[in-house]
Amino acid sequence: MAARQTVSWRRVAADPALLTAILAVWILLLLFVLYPLAHLLERAFFDESGFTLEPLLASLVDSGHQAAFANSLILATVVGALGTALGFLFALTAVRAGLSRHWLTFLDAAALLPLVSPPFTTSIAIIFSFGPKGFITHDLLGLTNVSAYGFWSTMSAETLTYFPIAYLTLRPILAAIDPNLEEMAFSLGGSRWRIFRTVTVPLAVPGFANAFLLLFAASLADFATPLILAGNSFPVLPTQAYLQITGLFDFKGGAVLSLILLVPAVAVFLLQRAWVGRRTYVTVTGKVGQRSRSRAIAPWASVLLVAACVAVAAIIVYFYALLLIASLVVAFGANNSFTWHHYHVIFTEGLPAIRDTLIIAAIGMPLGGFYGVLVGYLIARRNFPGRRAMELVAMINYALPGTIVGIAYLIAFNDPPVALTGGVLIIVACYIFRYSPTGIRATVALLQQIDRSLEEASSSLGAGSGETFRRVTLPLIAPAFFAGLGVVFIRSMTAISATIFLVSISWTLITVRILENMTEMALGPAAAFSVFVIVVVFVVVAGLSAILVRLRAPAAGAAARSFLGG
Amino acid sequence: MAPISIQLDRISKRFDHTVKGEVYAVREVSLAVEQGELLTLLGPSGCGKSTTLRMIAGFEEPDEGTISIGGKDVTHVLPNKRGIGFVFQNYALFPHLSVFENVAYGLRVQGRDEAAIGRAVGDVLELVGLGRYERQQPHQLSGGEQQRVALARAVVFQPEVLLFDEPLSNLDAKLRVEMREQIRALQKRIGITTVYVTHDQEEAMAISDRIAVMDRGEIVQEGSAHQLYYRPASEFVARFIGRTNILPGRVVSAAEVEVEGLRIALATSRAMGETVQLVVRPEMIELGPAAGETGAAHIVQRTFLGEKTDYLVALGGSTLQVSATDHYRRPPLDVGQPVTVHFHPEGLHVLG
Repeated sequence: MAARQTVSWRRVAADPALLTAILAVWILLLLFVLYPLAHLLERAFFDESGFTLEPLLASLVDSGHQAAFANSLILATVVGALGTALGFLFALTAVRAGLSRHWLTFLDAAALLPLVSPPFTTSIAIIFSFGPKGFITHDLLGLTNVSAYGFWSTMSAETLTYFPIAYLTLRPILAAIDPNLEEMAFSLGGSRWRIFRTVTVPLAVPGFANAFLLLFAASLADFATPLILAGNSFPVLPTQAYLQITGLFDFKGGAVLSLILLVPAVAVFLLQRAWVGRRTYVTVTGKVGQRSRSRAIAPWASVLLVAACVAVAAIIVYFYALLLIASLVVAFGANNSFTWHHYHVIFTEGLPAIRDTLIIAAIGMPLGGFYGVLVGYLIARRNFPGRRAMELVAMINYALPGTIVGIAYLIAFNDPPVALTGGVLIIVACYIFRYSPTGIRATVALLQQIDRSLEEASSSLGAGSGETFRRVTLPLIAPAFFAGLGVVFIRSMTAISATIFLVSISWTLITVRILENMTEMALGPAAAFSVFVIVVVFVVVAGLSAILVRLRAPAAGAAARSFLGG
Repeated sequence: MAPISIQLDRISKRFDHTVKGEVYAVREVSLAVEQGELLTLLGPSGCGKSTTLRMIAGFEEPDEGTISIGGKDVTHVLPNKRGIGFVFQNYALFPHLSVFENVAYGLRVQGRDEAAIGRAVGDVLELVGLGRYERQQPHQLSGGEQQRVALARAVVFQPEVLLFDEPLSNLDAKLRVEMREQIRALQKRIGITTVYVTHDQEEAMAISDRIAVMDRGEIVQEGSAHQLYYRPASEFVARFIGRTNILPGRVVSAAEVEVEGLRIALATSRAMGETVQLVVRPEMIELGPAAGETGAAHIVQRTFLGEKTDYLVALGGSTLQVSATDHYRRPPLDVGQPVTVHFHPEGLHVLG
């Protein structure tokens, strides 16, 4: 009888383990999600005299802020459109061009590299390439006095960094379109181009919309790329909010600016839920046509597609090669003799940052993994008053741009009753509540595939809800747990937008050191740090993937993918 | 009479339905199951039988009414404190545990010592004929074997009652018959009070001491298979259990009822002239070739099924289903052939 159960407090109260878990999660959510957000709103809208819109209005009429707002939207729109196009190109090639496994692996690797890198890597490579001493601008073209800063470089870097999100969104959708549909249209006499326009593209429309919105949100929230590449001529909201706080110590102004950023972010979130969430044309017939090479794409078109993808992949590989070389030469562009010096620097002067980052990642990883699994379990499996609210609140920090979360934490935890700034806990908490939602979603997805009767069986055999969770549920959702671990770890190594507000003399992060190196024009150590992070992330992701493969659970593949998509 | 083991007292369960609003899945169901008895809840899908069972198990809580097991009120007691063994339709074996660990689960939860667990699990696996399978993983077993593991797991910790939710519906027909005999034998041997849910009337008749037929959330009749088959209380029960003819009749005297122009000897307490509905099972009607063209009935269809021959017979305004089980002794009747129809009085039952 698949009907909704009536919600009963009595049932919850009779189950101490469940009650404890619910209360614990709510206390955490109140403290680390709602409390900082409330503080942010209070700081922005209240002063000594009470409620006021004055700072907001002042901010809105500030021409600098208006420019930043407009720039943010333009940047996000262009990145969304171009990134979706690029992602579609890759997805179409992967699904329809009939590539061999090796080529597919190469394209996948090239496309996913930017997602697991620290946020600056593309930016650094662009400066190495197109800066005043850039490999292409200076060495190859002999140009002088070029500027690598502004809209074009920011847009290119963000597009290259985020298009893999579109690729991951569109690929399964294209793969699910039965080639027989296209072949059927072909047999009806349509030209290939006509079929592409009238069959393939319309079926992928929800995917386009979703990919665009995801990229739009990612670009809107991106802090690292504009901070390095946008320069003075192209201010955007996240960097303006950051400068307001770190440059002018104007917490109120920063809070207000970050809230302006909130408006488009929420709009995108609602659009995505309302429109894309419900529409999916993907037909799972269970009977898939023979996986022969589709003839719906002409051979010459396949060649063009592959060539375009290889070109993009080559640019990415070129950027990473540049990064590696720059980390191994004295001064890239000026003195290209080999040296280990930069690595020596990061493992001596930079060692505190490396140590702190690894400690933070190591603390956050298990806590975040467990938190994700617990909340996912409560949301997907238990019925209690306030379940939907818990689901929503748990997603807030994930959906908000990092700048907002960072500023909110800074404001909320700077003073008693909960003074945490300067410590390690605030950074760990920020990562857990910002990046565990991926684990929550993976857990929910996995639990939807596991029949409820397994837990009922355990219950009928005498196990309470805590024991059932430990003995049955937890082993079965292990893949989601490891996926959650992976995401928290990757982000702990690579994120900066929120935590840049939270670092202190005693606790700092590799990403923050990279930023400092960049501003000091110490590009060698910045490149060396980036290479180090990429290697560590690669090793950990490979290890976790191996575990996931060993577990061989049905959703392991999906969970592994959610590593990167999150 | 044996003492009552499970007592349901006017339990109801409502669900919010997206279209129909609040609907009753189970409505004021009362039921008493005796110690050691096997009672089956039988009914079509959506009749509330599974919901009733799940309330006994404690997976769902009734909105009204009380449930007691072994004399204790357990209405609001969690499933893990009820001492019930439950066998699920999909077996619900823990996929990450071996056969041994699956069966040992309940004992481990109780914190028994390793030696006792080993003995108990070994014994019960022997009992269900799976002694050699201890180390296997569930996915390595066939459907029938998985079902036996589920059964072993449900009985090993000696629960007070055993509950089955359509346990055989995922098995093929032959295995189903084999398994239901095993279940019945095991249940009798350990003498455990059992409630069994199925939509298969044959299964219910084969396995049960008593059957409660449910329809639209209510129990419409309770009794032995015999009673339900020969003395159905309603048209629903008559049609749900076995094949049946329901014929309009009129009481013409205290000892006679007229059906489609035929006078049949049948003692009834109904008033003279009252119209009644008569239940006649297909195998309780005897056909014979009619002399000449005078018969009021003729054959419409004949189907030879090996163990019997089924006929459709036009009689007045009705079409009768007739099963001839003695067909090997008689020449077959042809389509269109006029026939005489004889109702055995002991096979006739007046509804209502």
